Amino acid sequence: MTHRIRSSHWSRRLGILGTAAPLILAAMAFATEDTNPAVTSEPKLLAEYEVTEIRLIPSQVVFSDASEYRKVLVVGKTGRSSEIDLTRTAKFTPAADCVRFDEQGYLFPVKDCETRVAVAANGLTAQLPVTVRGLAKPREVSFVRDVEPIMNKVGCSAGTCHGAAKGKNGFKLSLRGYDPEFDYDRLIHDVSGRRFNRADPARSLLLLKPTAQVPHGGGLRFDTDSQYYKTILEWLSEGVPFGDARAAEVARLEVTPSDILMPKPGLSQQIVVVAHYSDGAARDVTREASYTSNAPSVAEVMQDGLLTSGRKGEAALLVRYEGNFVTVPTTILSETPGFKWVELPQYNYIDEAVDRKLRKLRILPSPLSTDAEFIRRVSLDLIGVPPTPEEVEAFLRDKTPPRQKRARLVDQLIARHEYVDHWSLKWGDLLKSNRKFLGQKGMWRFRDWIRQSVAENKPYNQFVYELITARGSTYDNPAANYFLIADQPNTQMETTTQLFLGVRFMCAHCHDHPFEQWTNKQYFELSAFFAQVGIRDGARSLEKVVYDKNDGEITFPKTGRVALAHFPYLQPAHFTTDEARRRLLAEWLTSKDNPYFAKACVNRMWSYFFSRGIIDPVDDIRSSNPPINPELLAALTKDLISHNFDLRYLLRMIVNSRTYQLSTRTNNWNADDENNFSHALPRRLTAEELMDSISIATGSRMVFKDVPKDYLAEELPDPKVGMGGFLDLFGRPQRESPCECERRSEVSLKQALNLINGPAVGDAVADPDGRIAKLIMAGAPDRKIVEELYLATLDRPPSAEEARKAQEYLAGSKNRADRAQDIEWALLNSYAFLFNR
Amino acid sequence: MLSIPGRMARLCDGYTRREFLRVGGATLFGLSLPQFFSLQAKASPAAPFAGSKGYGAAKSVILLFLQGGPSHLDIWDPKPDAPSNIRGEFKAIKASVDGIQLSETMPLLAKQADKYTLIRSMSYTPVGLFNHTAAIYQMLTGFPPDKVSPSGQLEPPSPHDFPTAGSQVAKLKPLDDPMLPFVEMPRPLQESSVIGKGGAAGFLGKAYDPYRLYQDPNKPIDLGDLALRSDVSPERLRDRFYLLKGINGSMPDLEKAVSSFALDEYYQRAYNLLLSGKARNAFDLEQEKPEVREKYGRTTFGQGALLARRLVEAGTRFVQLNWPAVANGDPTVDAWDTHAANFGPLKNLHCPILDRTLSALLEDMSERGLLKDTFVVVVGEFGRSPRLGVSTSGNTNAPDGRDHWPYCYTALVAGGGIRAGEVYGKSDETGSSPKENPVHPTDLLATIYYALGIDPSQMVLNDFNQPRELVKGTPLVKLFG
Repeated sequence: MTHRIRSSHWSRRLGILGTAAPLILAAMAFATEDTNPAVTSEPKLLAEYEVTEIRLIPSQVVFSDASEYRKVLVVGKTGRSSEIDLTRTAKFTPAADCVRFDEQGYLFPVKDCETRVAVAANGLTAQLPVTVRGLAKPREVSFVRDVEPIMNKVGCSAGTCHGAAKGKNGFKLSLRGYDPEFDYDRLIHDVSGRRFNRADPARSLLLLKPTAQVPHGGGLRFDTDSQYYKTILEWLSEGVPFGDARAAEVARLEVTPSDILMPKPGLSQQIVVVAHYSDGAARDVTREASYTSNAPSVAEVMQDGLLTSGRKGEAALLVRYEGNFVTVPTTILSETPGFKWVELPQYNYIDEAVDRKLRKLRILPSPLSTDAEFIRRVSLDLIGVPPTPEEVEAFLRDKTPPRQKRARLVDQLIARHEYVDHWSLKWGDLLKSNRKFLGQKGMWRFRDWIRQSVAENKPYNQFVYELITARGSTYDNPAANYFLIADQPNTQMETTTQLFLGVRFMCAHCHDHPFEQWTNKQYFELSAFFAQVGIRDGARSLEKVVYDKNDGEITFPKTGRVALAHFPYLQPAHFTTDEARRRLLAEWLTSKDNPYFAKACVNRMWSYFFSRGIIDPVDDIRSSNPPINPELLAALTKDLISHNFDLRYLLRMIVNSRTYQLSTRTNNWNADDENNFSHALPRRLTAEELMDSISIATGSRMVFKDVPKDYLAEELPDPKVGMGGFLDLFGRPQRESPCECERRSEVSLKQALNLINGPAVGDAVADPDGRIAKLIMAGAPDRKIVEELYLATLDRPPSAEEARKAQEYLAGSKNRADRAQDIEWALLNSYAFLFNR
Repeated sequence: MLSIPGRMARLCDGYTRREFLRVGGATLFGLSLPQFFSLQAKASPAAPFAGSKGYGAAKSVILLFLQGGPSHLDIWDPKPDAPSNIRGEFKAIKASVDGIQLSETMPLLAKQADKYTLIRSMSYTPVGLFNHTAAIYQMLTGFPPDKVSPSGQLEPPSPHDFPTAGSQVAKLKPLDDPMLPFVEMPRPLQESSVIGKGGAAGFLGKAYDPYRLYQDPNKPIDLGDLALRSDVSPERLRDRFYLLKGINGSMPDLEKAVSSFALDEYYQRAYNLLLSGKARNAFDLEQEKPEVREKYGRTTFGQGALLARRLVEAGTRFVQLNWPAVANGDPTVDAWDTHAANFGPLKNLHCPILDRTLSALLEDMSERGLLKDTFVVVVGEFGRSPRLGVSTSGNTNAPDGRDHWPYCYTALVAGGGIRAGEVYGKSDETGSSPKENPVHPTDLLATIYYALGIDPSQMVLNDFNQPRELVKGTPLVKLFG
């Protein structure tokens, strides 16, 4: 009862969706007939190209199995040195009736023969030789090779259906079929074999349910006249052979094309997927594979592998089949009449990699930032505070050529004590240095340890090694606090992998990671490295002592068996867990050969300078989230490793690149690029940067309880200080999560009200000991006041026009102090101040 | 209304939807934005619902969003004849309108039955996860969360999310007066550490986010920065803005580069708010008589409802009062998420607050003549399993607990041009499934838009300027009149 109404209600909605595809096509056809000539359909777009040559993929087809099919791609070489997909407009004519095409354009064998298919597209022709042989030979339909993929494709084992943790309506499958033995067992032995009716295979629930011959909560999944139906029926009739799981293991997927570059939006591309099995067999699985796009607005992909481009941009398509993944990078260009690449000087390898990509995308980078822009940006990025008026003036006066002058400034900044403040703040955030977890004293000690590490430029691998292997008192060896921020073996593992490998292992806690190679088994095997970490109370208040126990194991929740400590990749040849497990883990983790360790680090560091990582989000590295510029990431990674994980070296390399030093001003060719580092992207100042910048601009400092009066906001030890105030309003992380996303950078109405009318700006400009009061008291002339306010707030002198207007305003009233405050208020509320630009 | 030129636009039936798909599809295949708009302009001139019964009858909306998922059987839709493992511990009581029964947990509301209509056939099948966040997102944006989170994981709010209903309203039905268009209080939507999913403007841009008053209105409200500083007169603020405009204007490239932050919109809005003082006034609950404050109940929820009324009076378009507890919080303290202890806390803690506050709100609004143009909606993200002690969502449930149940639950609607004293839709004998007139959450959203005179069948543009349905639901036109 419940069930019926529910599903009919739902099918009403599904019905709506179900009509979508043909109607879209109808609209396409309709659009071409429309009076508006600018509306063009794909066939029309394709017809515009002058095709000089067509070729077929595959170039020949051999069938030996009646259940096989082939998708044949027709690729047109155009005069513009690129290729376009003509598959949908091509005409296929078999020379004999021993093969046929179905309505979706798949080629099927009918009977044994040698024949040809004539292919015509854009006025050109080609021939496809086809051999059909041994069709009558009996073949085995197996569960692993034939049936499981169907159940995955039609959604039986999806997380929302029977693949859910508890299954659905009493029937449970492994999520996306990651455990075929389990699934086979459920199908054949559960419910006293009702799912499989030996006497009358067609009456098996396995067929009755998905074809909706009996009520099915999941509705109709395939028809009784479909190939899927035939395959499953055949399998049931043959006595449900499980098959040879090893031979049927998919060794690799061959995806064509492996890289998609489309000259403009509106075009489509058919993708063809061939599975290669361990036993050497290969089969077209285009229809059974699953497709997802990480940017559907750029490239959308249908479940039959047809990709449609929506707008200019880049997308990564993830193609999945039976636990195998292939990512297809996709680039959609738009027509850029008048585009001409202009070579800019390349300062280091970063610029070379960035330029190569920009050139390919026909994006022209912006010009260099000005010296005034640069000193502000690089100061904020390296030391978290803007320059003082004196520093700006000195830098602008310096006549050294810009590149050398800037490099020298970088060196000076890295040597400043605020450099330690700034980078310790970031590590404090990530390592959750928070008295809530560590106690007040432990938090301060952990902060000292982080600061000491930054100050001595401890190599990054050593820094991590010390954290992972730390033992003893959290007061005497503060690195041991690491084991308090997550205090269970599995959460320690999750924190460690997210922070230092950029990998989110938590998805594999309950099941195999759906979009990655990580398995449920690996989750527990990796957690086992933390299984013998002991934490006990120390002698002093809130002191904890971290030690290695001689016992403690992780067990698999499903089987209760002990999980042996095992690395998910890069297994060392000889190792025994009789040794302290954490030391083994630390060695593996920080190894130069660990492909994730250095990469995750450079990617994270990069993101601090460019608004986004080369892989973004920075702590979600997986094959379905590929780098925007793989060459760049590889070069930086290699460089960090070969320079002994020296972070200062890495930061220097980044900020000394031309790429970092570009202006925010865009041109016609890069205005809509937000991913390829073709121009600087303004970032709202972080909470701490904003507060410290206001202090420097106004000469008025906010004071916090419980910390020394001269502390900058970026020196504050944890979120307890100033909780609920200005810093939290502007998105300071609460240090509850190791996720980079905890820091918020958006703007809100409340922030606007605060900046306009709150004490942070209002009190600061009116501070009787502040910059303005001092200038007025000293009797500074109008010109001097205006100049200093501009230098102190926007880090540049005013233009002549700006100076004139401001001086006019200043002179417009007897109360110069009030007027100066108004000018300073306006400067502090301007975009030029609120953003790192 | 959108349609392909040359075709007649039709009213709210399946046909309309197909027209959208056409346009969506056509855009996919190379129709540019200006073309999209020119098609839109060429389409039928009048809004499809103009002149339809009750269309645009409401000026404002008050949404009491009972996050956590209150048990419909123990509040709105008692089943006195069902077996005890379904019926539970409460009795049904007669309401003041013949033929309507409520649970005994709602004695005051039962007396006000002539002021509202119960929709007892709310129903949907979850797409993706079966948790609060996904359900809240479905309820308030009208879209299943898998559309923005392909991995199906619980994710924090993203700028690509579908907008929450209040943000859509704030954008499509802007205020003329300087007032806060959309206020959310007294705490965010939340499940575990996922905060605010389904409660933000998403792809409309942050300028349409709610004004978030996350404070307990039962305590003195900190107006914070809404009160103009004593050293800044309105004239001085005007001067300052004039200067600011000049400074930003002298850097047009930067202005362009930061435009996606919508800072200018925030500044303009903040400026108007500060000068008008309307919002300040509305937040001042001290202006209410003590009897009135008492009547709503001296609780966070009670005073929040009173504040909601004051905000609507002052011109706010959409007020969302969230139940002041984390959705999956402790049911024995303040949460509706009664996987255990369904009865005691409901009877002694949660229902008395809801009953008192809601009956006071309806009575007060009715007396003040506010109900006729304010659409009041009371609903959670789902109901609870009719059968006690079973697991329907994968959570474990105590013998006296009820699990999540989106397949059938109840919404209360009042005011804004709808008929009162009725029951729309019916649940079956056990409250498990709708027996007639199933109402999907998207239909409820469409009804809210309809009441405000916002065409629910229109398209909105997302952050990539792609057209998206405002809502894929059908307004319950039958409720009006």
